[in-house]
Amino acid sequence: MAFQTNDDQSRHEEFVSLYVRNEAAVFSFVMALVKHTADAEDVVQRASVTMWRCFDRFESGTNFRAWAFQIAKNEALNLLSKNKRDRHVFSEKLIAMLADQAEERAGDLDARQRALDFCVENLPPNEHEIVEGCYREGSTIRSFSEQAGVTANKIYKQLNRVRRKLQKCIERRLGLEEVTQ
Amino acid sequence: MIDDELQNWIDKSLNETATAEEAQALEERLLGDSAARDHYLNEVYLHSSLRRRFSVDEEQVPSLDIVPNKRRRELVLGVAIAASLALLAGILSLWATDSKSPASITQVFGAYRGDGTAYVVGEQVGQGTQLLDRGLLRLDFLNGARVTIEGPAQFEVTSEMRMVLHRGVVTATIPEAAIGFVVDTTAAQVVDLGTSFGVSVGEDGLTDVCVFDGEVEVTNQTDAAPRVVREGQAVRTSGPSKTIDSVAYETTQFENAWPINSGVLQTTGSMRFVSPGPDFHPGNYEDNEHIIVFPERRDFVSKKELRLDLVDPGEYIISHYDNKPVLPTGRRLTSYLLQLNAYPEGEDPNRRRSVRGQITFSKPIVGVISDDRVLIESEAIFGLPNVTYPSARMIEPRPEGDERPGFDTLILAADRRTLIIELQENPGHLDQVRVLVEAE
Repeated sequence: MAFQTNDDQSRHEEFVSLYVRNEAAVFSFVMALVKHTADAEDVVQRASVTMWRCFDRFESGTNFRAWAFQIAKNEALNLLSKNKRDRHVFSEKLIAMLADQAEERAGDLDARQRALDFCVENLPPNEHEIVEGCYREGSTIRSFSEQAGVTANKIYKQLNRVRRKLQKCIERRLGLEEVTQ
Repeated sequence: MIDDELQNWIDKSLNETATAEEAQALEERLLGDSAARDHYLNEVYLHSSLRRRFSVDEEQVPSLDIVPNKRRRELVLGVAIAASLALLAGILSLWATDSKSPASITQVFGAYRGDGTAYVVGEQVGQGTQLLDRGLLRLDFLNGARVTIEGPAQFEVTSEMRMVLHRGVVTATIPEAAIGFVVDTTAAQVVDLGTSFGVSVGEDGLTDVCVFDGEVEVTNQTDAAPRVVREGQAVRTSGPSKTIDSVAYETTQFENAWPINSGVLQTTGSMRFVSPGPDFHPGNYEDNEHIIVFPERRDFVSKKELRLDLVDPGEYIISHYDNKPVLPTGRRLTSYLLQLNAYPEGEDPNRRRSVRGQITFSKPIVGVISDDRVLIESEAIFGLPNVTYPSARMIEPRPEGDERPGFDTLILAADRRTLIIELQENPGHLDQVRVLVEAE
C-alpha cells in the first residue's frame, strides 16, 4: 500500500495543498543554503519526500512553512556533510545562521515574489531577454552568450546589472525604501 | 553596509563562477555581518525566483513530479491533485491561517462572489484573489485605510499596506498612519502620499487613476520616474510599458464607490454625490435635477462653539440665533455640504418645482446647519480651504400654520443618520445645508 501511514484522503489533500503553496519558498530557502541550483533541486526533492513521510507528525493549523524549512535545512546539512571538502559550500555554522534569518523572514517571501513578477514584466525587452536567456530551463550563461554571439563576461556584467535593477525595483515596491520622500 | 566587494562575491556565487577563495571570503563576511546575510538572502531569493519563473513550465508542478523513482508511486496521486490544485492556487491561499488578516469587511451593498455566495460584514479578507461579482463592499484595514470596491472586480489584499486590483473600481481613503498604501494593477502601481483617490481597471487592463484629495505617485516602468498626481488630476495608462497620460478629471466611474468611502451609506431620489475638483466652488456647480453632496473636512476637531439648526430627529423650523442649540468643542466630526443650485433654462426659466432626496450616513448626524449666518460661521471651521462659499443661501421651511405649497422641507429621521430633503427649485437662487456627522 502506498499510503499506509497517511491513508486518510483528506490528510493527503491537505499535504498537497500546503506543499504546493510553499514549494517556491522552500526552494528559495534551500538555494540560500546550498548555492548551486542542482544541489538545491536535489535537496528539495529529498525534503518533499521526507515531509510527506513525516506529515502525520505535522499538526494541522500550525505553520507549515516553518516546519518545511526545518526539514529542508536538515536535508541541506545531510547533503553538505557529504561534500565537506568542497570549499565552495558554506559551513554548517553559516548555514544555521542563514536558516535562522531566512525563517524569520519566511512571511515576506510571497510579497517579494509578487514584486518580482511585476518588475520582470516591466523590464525593457532587451533586459528581459537577458534574464530569460540566462535562467531558461537548461540554459547557462555560457550557452546563452554563445547563442547571442557575445562574450560570457559581457553577459555576466549585464545580468548583474539587471539583477541590481530588479532588486531595486522590488525594494521599492515593497516600500522598504522611503517612497514618500 | 553593502559594498562592491560583497556584491561582487554574491554575484559570482550566484553565477556559479566564484573561485574557492572568493567563496571563502563570502563565507567569512556573511558569518560576521547580519546585514550582509540579509542582503545575500534577498539576492538569492531574486535569483531563485528568476530560475523558477523561466525554467518552470506553468502547467507543471515542479519537484513533486521529479521525485526519485522508488518514491514516485507514493506521490503520483499527489502530483495529480497538485496539478489541479495549482490552478486553484488563489482559492487555496484563502485558507492561509498563518497571519492575522490585514483587512475586514465593514459594509456590504449586494456584494456577491463569483460563486453566488454573499460577502458579509465582519468577514476577514486574507491572502488570495477575491472575485466580487457584483455589488459594493467596504474594507477597513488595520492601519485605518478605507477602501471601497465596486464589482465586477477581482482583487487581492496582500498586506496592511497593499492591495492588487486586477479588474474593477476602487476608491481609497488613506489616513496618515497608512501613508504609502499601494494599489497595484497590471498596468501601474499607485502609491498613496496621504490622500483619497480612485483606481479603475477595465477588462483590457486600461487603468485610470483619479485623485480626489492630496496626492499619489503612479509608476509603471521599472526605474522610470514616478508620476505625481495631485488633487483634481487624473491619469490613464493602458499597459505596463505604455506611457502615463494626463486625462480630464472625471469622477463618474467612482460615483458609486466614493460616497461609501466618505461615510455616506446611501443616497436616494435626486441626490448626487460628487467629489470636488481643483476649481470647485459650490456656487459654480449648477444642476437643475439634483441635490449635490460635497464632502468637506474629514475627521476634524472643532475648537470653536458653533450654533446648529437641527440636532434632534424631526423637522427643521426657523429659529432665532440665540435660541439655537450649541455644538460643544472637542468633537471629532466630518462635514458635508448639500446644495441645490438651479439655473434658468428652457421655455420656463423661472419654473418652480421640487427636488427630493434622502441621504443616509454611516455615522450619526450631530447637527444640521441651514441658516446663512451659521453657515458662514461654520465655513470658517469646516469649509474647504481655498474654496469660495457663496452667500446668501436660504432654506425656507413652512411657517407654522401656513398651508400654501412650495416650501423647503428638511427632516432628520429617527435613526439620526438619515436626512430627508425636499427643496424648491428657484433658478438663480442657492439652497445649501451643512451636515456634521460623527467622524468614523
